[in-house]
Amino acid sequence: MPTLRELTRPGETPMIAVESLLHRYGATTVLTLQSWRASAGEHCLILGASGSGKTTLLGIVAGLLRPSEGRVEVAGEGLARLSGPALDRFRGRHIGFVPQKLHLITSLDVAANLVLAQFMAGVAQDRARVREVLAAVGLADRLGAQPAQLSHGQAQRVAVARAVVNRPNVILADEPTSNLDDAHCAATLDLLESQASACGATLVIATHDQRAKSRFATRLELSPGRAS
Amino acid sequence: MNLPRLSLAYLKARPLNTALNMTLLALGVGTIALLLLASHQLEEHMGRDARGIDLVAGAKGSPMQLVLSAVFHIDAPTGNIPVADAKKLAQNRAVKRAIPLALGDSFRGFRIAGTTHDYVSHYGGELAAGRLWEAPMEVVLGALTARASGLGVGDKFVGSHGLAGGGDAHGDYRYAVVGVLKPTGSVLDRLVLANVESVWIVHVHPEKHDDPKAVLAQLREDEQEITALLIQYATPIAAATLPRLINSTSALQAASPAYESARLFRMLGVGIEVLRAFALVLVAAAGLSIFIALYNAMEERRYDLAVMRMLGASPGKLMRLVLVEALALAIAGAVVGLALGHLLTEVVGGMLAAEQQPAVTGAAWLASELWLVALAAGVGLVAGLVPAWRAYRTDIATTLAQG
Repeated sequence: MPTLRELTRPGETPMIAVESLLHRYGATTVLTLQSWRASAGEHCLILGASGSGKTTLLGIVAGLLRPSEGRVEVAGEGLARLSGPALDRFRGRHIGFVPQKLHLITSLDVAANLVLAQFMAGVAQDRARVREVLAAVGLADRLGAQPAQLSHGQAQRVAVARAVVNRPNVILADEPTSNLDDAHCAATLDLLESQASACGATLVIATHDQRAKSRFATRLELSPGRAS
Repeated sequence: MNLPRLSLAYLKARPLNTALNMTLLALGVGTIALLLLASHQLEEHMGRDARGIDLVAGAKGSPMQLVLSAVFHIDAPTGNIPVADAKKLAQNRAVKRAIPLALGDSFRGFRIAGTTHDYVSHYGGELAAGRLWEAPMEVVLGALTARASGLGVGDKFVGSHGLAGGGDAHGDYRYAVVGVLKPTGSVLDRLVLANVESVWIVHVHPEKHDDPKAVLAQLREDEQEITALLIQYATPIAAATLPRLINSTSALQAASPAYESARLFRMLGVGIEVLRAFALVLVAAAGLSIFIALYNAMEERRYDLAVMRMLGASPGKLMRLVLVEALALAIAGAVVGLALGHLLTEVVGGMLAAEQQPAVTGAAWLASELWLVALAAGVGLVAGLVPAWRAYRTDIATTLAQG
């Protein structure tokens, strides 16, 4: 079997490289993926119906889950080689994650939610950077607001800001457009693309939303129980 | 941002829970602090008052009452003894020093004690003003007596019959203040001191309007009585022989201040132990409450913990976060409890001072109070362990996908 390096075209190091991936919950195989790569700065879409393993794949790339089988490299680092705390540290520095349910910390205000991302990643706490990112997503005047006071759209922008505040190499977004009308859907995708471009990150959006399909040239289609 | 500030944000987000837990812990710690402070200070006071007095000889009755009345001046005397008996006892070879004490009257609740200058020097009393008494009806005030009564050298006052205050006034005889003592921290501070003859004059012939010296000259031998004799042994062996000699061969009884105060503390000790056990139950209840609060909070905070992991926190960091929160709660509760304990002690001290009892103050600190903080911190830490373990074990990928 060829190694990842051999599969990669010369001169191009993939930001994300997945090989012979298989993940099981108990006896059920929830994800199989033969090979998938995304290069630096690329914006791509993972499409698939519910239960096709999109969230599982994002979890594995983010280092939140260890796959049952297969190899995953992110930014040239083999995730299987990293110990638990090292993997946590790696995730904090290199990966920005926007979960489907945004999960802002309700005990902290908007700015503190972003400072928390810096604190948990173990990077310097930079209030100027927090203001800059919140201004970039159009929330310059909501720094002291409580998450409960925000509209869904505003909360989503805070979640995106939280994902990009540490200038990650990879931004992963799980179903960002579900339950949004067409206008908000487009605005959310615009926001994710512009923020990813702003920090030169690879953007991976997992969705079953067909409206997103036309915007992205690079697409990975997942279907349950079948190798892609 | 750091772990303590993050913990604080979570504690603030649940103000009622936080207040309940702190209150529970503060009540327990406060009660223990009050017991520690009060019993320590009372023991210290009693130790100081009884120091150097090996034996008290007085009228027959309860030995504890004799010690309480003659040494600590907090109970009624058992009665009086003839001066002749006291003199005979004082001349015993086993006695190094014997200080007579004649009680019976008081001034605004402060006892008037007829005694010798030895009594003052025994407690290391020094004059703040004036001189010691020389003639009958001359008195020296203890520091607390002088401050409470506002009297000073040159003032005169009338004593009242009985020790409780508010008894009949001996209207015909006026005491003259000739001196005021500096504070000693002993029973001396709460007394009015005179010579034994002054007590006789006022007491034996309260109806006479004559000159004190003339009254004294007419005093019959059997009217010359004192209340107690404070004895210091000449040799340690005296402890074995003298009490038995006194109890078996005379109308007097002997009581040991050390033994009687130990007996008193043993009896009080039961009550103190019950209170202490009750306080520990409160502390344990506080620990349980902190445990339940944190345990439930971990359930509510599942997503927050998963998000923190997503943002790069290690499981150990989450564990530390929960432990810091439990610890912050426990230490805050302990500090509030100590403040409460000192406040209560000060209040109790104020009540005792109004009764002319040995003063207890909340302004003093004990090293053992630091152990209370350590105890509370330990309770907090134990209460936080299981919730911390739950935080450690959070399944992030599954939790994040839920919601």
